[in-house]
Amino acid sequence: MMMTKRRALIAGAALLAGLSVNPAGAVPAVGQPAPGFSLTSTDGKTVRLADFQGRHVVLEWVNPGCPYVRKHYNSANMQGTQKEVTTQGVVWLAVNSTENASADYLAPAELGRWMQTQQAAATHTLLDEDGSVGKAYGARTTPHMYIVDPKGVLVYAGGIDSIPSARAGDIQTAVNYIKQGVRESLAGQPIRAASTRPYGCAIKYKS
Amino acid sequence: MHLSSRFTRVLASLSLLAAGLLPLAASAQFGNGPGAVVRTEQVRAELLAHAPDGAGPGQTVWVGLQIRHKPEWHTYWKNAGDSGLPTQLQWTLPAGVSAGEIQWPLPQKIRIGTLANYGYEGTVLLPVALTIGPDFKPGLLSDTLEVKLAASWLVCKTECIPEDGEFALKIPVRSSTAGQGAQFDAAWRAAPVDLAAGAASSLRIEGAALALSVQGLPAGWQGRKLEFFPESPEVIETAADWQQGWDGAVWTARIPLSPQRSNSPALMPVVLALDGQGQRIALPVNGNWPQAGGAVQVSTALQTALAAGPGGGRLAGAAAPSIGFWAALLGALIGGLILNLMPCVLPVLAIKVLGFARHADDRRAHRINGIAYTAGVLLSVMALGLLMLSLRSAGESLGWGFQLQNPAVVAGLALLFTLIGLNLAGVFQFRQVLPSSLAGFQPRHPVVDAFFTGVLAVAIASPCTAPFMGASLGLAVALPPLQAMAVFAMLGAGLALPYLAASFIPAVARALPRPGAWMDTLKTFMAFPMFATVAWLVWVLGQQSGINGAGALLALLVAVAFASWALAQHGRARWVTGTVSLAVLLVLGWTFGPAVTRQAPLAQQQADGQWQAWAPGKVEQIMAGGQPVFVDFTAAWCVTCQYNKQTTLNDPQLMAEMATRKVALLRADWTRRDPAISAALQQLGRSGVPVYVLYQDGRAPQVLSEILSVKDVRAALARL
Repeated sequence: MMMTKRRALIAGAALLAGLSVNPAGAVPAVGQPAPGFSLTSTDGKTVRLADFQGRHVVLEWVNPGCPYVRKHYNSANMQGTQKEVTTQGVVWLAVNSTENASADYLAPAELGRWMQTQQAAATHTLLDEDGSVGKAYGARTTPHMYIVDPKGVLVYAGGIDSIPSARAGDIQTAVNYIKQGVRESLAGQPIRAASTRPYGCAIKYKS
Repeated sequence: MHLSSRFTRVLASLSLLAAGLLPLAASAQFGNGPGAVVRTEQVRAELLAHAPDGAGPGQTVWVGLQIRHKPEWHTYWKNAGDSGLPTQLQWTLPAGVSAGEIQWPLPQKIRIGTLANYGYEGTVLLPVALTIGPDFKPGLLSDTLEVKLAASWLVCKTECIPEDGEFALKIPVRSSTAGQGAQFDAAWRAAPVDLAAGAASSLRIEGAALALSVQGLPAGWQGRKLEFFPESPEVIETAADWQQGWDGAVWTARIPLSPQRSNSPALMPVVLALDGQGQRIALPVNGNWPQAGGAVQVSTALQTALAAGPGGGRLAGAAAPSIGFWAALLGALIGGLILNLMPCVLPVLAIKVLGFARHADDRRAHRINGIAYTAGVLLSVMALGLLMLSLRSAGESLGWGFQLQNPAVVAGLALLFTLIGLNLAGVFQFRQVLPSSLAGFQPRHPVVDAFFTGVLAVAIASPCTAPFMGASLGLAVALPPLQAMAVFAMLGAGLALPYLAASFIPAVARALPRPGAWMDTLKTFMAFPMFATVAWLVWVLGQQSGINGAGALLALLVAVAFASWALAQHGRARWVTGTVSLAVLLVLGWTFGPAVTRQAPLAQQQADGQWQAWAPGKVEQIMAGGQPVFVDFTAAWCVTCQYNKQTTLNDPQLMAEMATRKVALLRADWTRRDPAISAALQQLGRSGVPVYVLYQDGRAPQVLSEILSVKDVRAALARL
């Protein structure tokens, strides 16, 4: 009896000691606060994550030069997801972390034009040329998706859907994690598939 | 005259030679025929084949996709790393031919800024073994094996281009294809060598990193810095720095986990490399994966405190909850009781109860026999348990039923059952075939006979697992030896209890009718379940040693039957037939014996309808694609498994529901020893088959009961 009590006490103390808050600078895990940022959009505005406190935010890492991004845009899958999600009051931020020197680099105006031609429904398209925001989130691929809840906690990190491939035909049979995750989060439930495999081309970070 | 005819002959032979060489020249020009090469701007991909002994039934033929990259372009390994996708091969093969998995050569770590991938530059050959079964029929006109491949690969430099190609190749069945032997040799040499997990090899989750210890690496590697390639994607932080060191002959490493890890495998195969040589080891993961989606990050201190806390003991990994010790004992007792009803044990029990009718009034004898039987059962169960525990501590990965994974044991049991069946059927009596001193042993020492019947009951009961037993035994192997032996003893007690109770309760003996002719009829009748068990054992052996092994065993059984009949004859007939039969038995044993124990080539990996073959890491791969996975851990010698296979798992409604829910179906065949499957079972808290598990990304695996009902599976599916 004494032993179990003592053990419980130790466990309790360790629990308190063990609660680790994400130290500044480390990539957040799902369930930890999403890093704040301030970036310029393709139409010259300054956009901050803090501006959207109290609302769900979806972050999409994009690069028009990547075949996997094109898979979802050419098939209108990404635009469809953006529309469905933004009509429910969720903010969609598309972020491009491609560095200046890369062959895939698009100037802000060009990127904005591309998003317009694609009829994308992103709330803002942001430029992260020095890659600091991408690295802060641990973004590795394009596309790489994140969902942040109204309290600023990261509730989803991973791929757009469940079948990693370049084939547009797979979109129909795959589970769209963003549509599913937003639906669950808006209903107040924890997201079932909260951490999934992101797939695509590597982000062309500034080294 | 002489000269000119000779010259003509030389000329004629030279032209014949040239004519003979022309087809060769033609085929050399066409290479492997049209369609074996696909060229893109970045790669030249070619389908190669290596079949030095032709491509007939029973052969293993090697094919492979060779990719020659332009400089600075690369394709990806089985685990592509931070981005990218591995090369995928989809084969179209004629009936009777099945393809194995890609034998990936050792990759390189390719860094791209702050990210990293695992892949290949230059030239790489991805070999695949094709197993040609007996039902392969080459076409009437063309004596070739036609292989078609649809391959897709992602080739990247700084930008990425997904490409694919269709390839076709015709491999001659009767002649040798060995032109690319050198490339295949190089690819095999470049593939990592399998390293068995020794006692000091372990993989543990410590906080936000993996602590890895590997024993048994080549001696020349000690003190050197090794490269690390995990086969499971989405676990570690690929580009991060990691630490490694040497603790004598054991290599240790600490590799950080990815904060956004989306894979939680139970078993992680990893490859360690030095100077282009790789060693591959598959280790079960100890400890709990950090909560993905949880509110707090669990620290190591908390984990240790929880593990040492009340009701802890050893946590059963990231899987099924472990059950208490007392629950395990109870489960073992009930399991043993239920075993009496299983087809394996029932005949033996029936024979023993028959003994009551014979000596209806000798209650003291009953009681003594009952105790002797119980002693036999308990001692042999504990001996089996002890054997299993000691082998496990010596590093063998075994589970309950391990004795039946050995074809020699299966053959021995078949022989034993045949003899018992023949004895019951009246072909011979023990006193007729054994020397009088030994034969008189049985009736004079009924106690010893009862003891050995108990031993026999355990020998034949082991393949039938009952509900509760799987979990009990799985827990037992993780307990301290004394507690493990207690669980085994309870199992034996359950098994012996009905007979013990019957021998102590006079009402049972009284309830049986008076001895009479019915006893002989019942005795003879009991021969048939014995023969049925022999038939089943021959089938099991067939799974292990192939049709030749099964046939050889049947021949030996016939010879044994003949010998036992011959020795039961009298006088001269006995001498003559006895000598002949023993001679026949010896000859057959000598010639066919090896065929019985020789392991047949592994069962083909072909998809059995919707079922795919299980492989380490495959569950995690499929789960990463978002599908739930249902795994059936089964073995040919496990009767309960076969029953479930034919009933529950064959139910069309259930299969339809699996299809609608997009559940991937995997079958892990444990008919022969497979350390990877044993490790996976241990991770689930089990050590025997059958085990049915439903996996889904993000939640703990649901382990279902051994007696699988359609209702249970549907309930589990509904919980997805």
